[in-house]
Amino acid sequence: MRPARRTDPLWLLGPSLLFLFVFVVYPLGHALRLSLYDWDLLTPERYVGLENYRALFESGDFCTILQSTLSVSLTAVAFSMLIGLALALAVNRPGRLAAFARTSIFSAYVVSWVSVALLWLWLLDADAGLVSAFGRALGFERAGLLASPHTAPFAIAGVVVWKIAGYSMVLFLSGLQSIPTSVLEAAALDGAGAWQRLRRVVLPLLGPTSAFVGTTSLILTFQAFDVVRIMTQGGPVRSTTVFVYSIYEQMFVGLRVGRASAEALVFFAVLLVLTGLELVFHQRRQAL
Amino acid sequence: MRPGFGWSRRAALAGLGLAGLAGLGLAGCGSSARSRREVPLWFTYGGRNREVLEALVARFNQDPSRVPVRPIYQGDYFEGLAKLRIALAARAAPALSHVVGEVVPYLAEAGVLEALDGYAPREDFELVPALGQSGTWIGGGERELVTLPFNRSTPIAYLNAELFERAGLGAPRTWEELRAVASALTLRRGSRIERYGFGCPVDWWFWVALVGQAGGDVVEPDGRVSLGGEAGVRALELWQTLVRRDRSMKPPPGRDYNAWEQTNQDFLAGRAAMIWTSTAFLKYLEDNAKFRVLAAPLPSGVRSAVPTGGTHWVILKSAEASQKRAAFRFLEFMQLERQAVEWATRTGYIPVTKGALRSLERRGHYDTHPNERVAIDQLGAARPWPWSPRLFRVQREVVQPRLERAVLADGSAREMIREGVELSRRI
Repeated sequence: MRPARRTDPLWLLGPSLLFLFVFVVYPLGHALRLSLYDWDLLTPERYVGLENYRALFESGDFCTILQSTLSVSLTAVAFSMLIGLALALAVNRPGRLAAFARTSIFSAYVVSWVSVALLWLWLLDADAGLVSAFGRALGFERAGLLASPHTAPFAIAGVVVWKIAGYSMVLFLSGLQSIPTSVLEAAALDGAGAWQRLRRVVLPLLGPTSAFVGTTSLILTFQAFDVVRIMTQGGPVRSTTVFVYSIYEQMFVGLRVGRASAEALVFFAVLLVLTGLELVFHQRRQAL
Repeated sequence: MRPGFGWSRRAALAGLGLAGLAGLGLAGCGSSARSRREVPLWFTYGGRNREVLEALVARFNQDPSRVPVRPIYQGDYFEGLAKLRIALAARAAPALSHVVGEVVPYLAEAGVLEALDGYAPREDFELVPALGQSGTWIGGGERELVTLPFNRSTPIAYLNAELFERAGLGAPRTWEELRAVASALTLRRGSRIERYGFGCPVDWWFWVALVGQAGGDVVEPDGRVSLGGEAGVRALELWQTLVRRDRSMKPPPGRDYNAWEQTNQDFLAGRAAMIWTSTAFLKYLEDNAKFRVLAAPLPSGVRSAVPTGGTHWVILKSAEASQKRAAFRFLEFMQLERQAVEWATRTGYIPVTKGALRSLERRGHYDTHPNERVAIDQLGAARPWPWSPRLFRVQREVVQPRLERAVLADGSAREMIREGVELSRRI
């Protein structure tokens, strides 16, 4: 269909483009400019060139933050996808019980991050929490999972998995339901067992869904600020200081606007690279 | 179909839009007019302290000749501070707030605090020297007055009196006794620890106390950040010994005030026999403990030393002149004997005026409430903060993360201090 006037598409795209410019392009450009300044919001800004980037890399903060972020994000993405897929396979059937199970599992996703964090803070409490009580019953020493720098990132990742597994499940369910039954029946007629059908037919056909779930989950986990703010405040020993939390600390606690902007841009680049890698990985798998 | 009253749909929508805009405009005018007739006060307490402050504000507001103060809760100290600084940058700061001592030099140098000397002679307030601007910062008395003390405190030790009596122990007076008492009161079952002898947040404030006790200062008189040098190392090593070797001190999980709250809960639940925390929690701990609570001064190293803490009133320069005058009237009201006494006795903070102290002594208050005397007696060992605009960054960015690394992970105390001093030079 051709537009009546050549300018019509521009009018139709206008609102979206304006939104994109105001809330994405302009803030990115502004952050880029601010990242070249030393500014604390109260005193006049001072041009420092690439000093904020140099400080980020030279202080070792970049490696620490990247390690914390990846520990939380990759663990959370991997397990939420695995659990989401397993749950989707389990509840992909008709009946009221399966419908109830689907709704229950997905309900965690619609609960706010703050509520989830407060709930798990109580569950993981070293003295009064159910998880710790269970651990003590099994003979483990009283120690909170959130108190050790070795376990805290994985405890946070566990909470994220609990929250977003329902999201993965729903997407995998839609992927499963879009696989024609004739394909599965044909595989069964050819003698493929349940495991073989899953491995050779279902999983390859779920490739595009997996790519989508993986990418969006990665972005979701990278943005998990509330859960860190409430449960660990980035500690212990900065083990849960993920990128978004570090940006918050630089900006609102240290009042280092330039440094926070530099971190935001580096964070953007890291996320872009990871997303690109993930998409390339899935495209290659599809091509095989 | 046309809507009722013969209006076209377009006219009805336009009418609604105009009405909405007019409503917004009126609401804006109303809020702006209201804000000029009152003094917004941003405060950062919850629980009992909040109740007491709100009660005092309500008393102030009862007098119709005064411009009313409107208290607005802003989270804990650090959240409140972040909001205040952002509000200053956005030119939306309140007229009145209260801030921790470490950040005052930074705000003063940034020129955002109103000088209070022009409102009344500073002698009028008869402040307890260690708690006012002159005693809180080195050289603070020679600078223009930009703060008045509000909720002031020192760290003190809280003891579970029953456990101490049963073990025949007294409050530790030296670092050696601290180790011995903490070990004696730690209850172990096999490799498990049922109760720690000692609990303390791994926090800058308590570390500064230890550095002072070890004979050092975080910032030298010439302004150089030394983090106490050898004393800083010894302070950190004491914590490392208690946590790692003796396993008699519980470093609570969480950071900032989450860790403080956890320490209180450990004490109240009997999971720690003795804790260090602020005098601010005196009433809370006394009221909620199922055992008798005994307060004691912190032990000495080579000398006795404690930092002062809590917050100071500040009036923000950006407010309108009438609001600033009204805010100062509120500060005068809060320094009057009745309010100063009530604030101190209902919360556990130290009375900030000599008049309030004299009044409480005269009434024999400290004979019946000996726990409250501990912080006052300890003021003799209080060490002033350096007037350094970098102090809050040294605290938040340099020291705090390194304390955690040295105590909770496997960092070397000496390396942490060396690294911290190096980093402080670049801040």
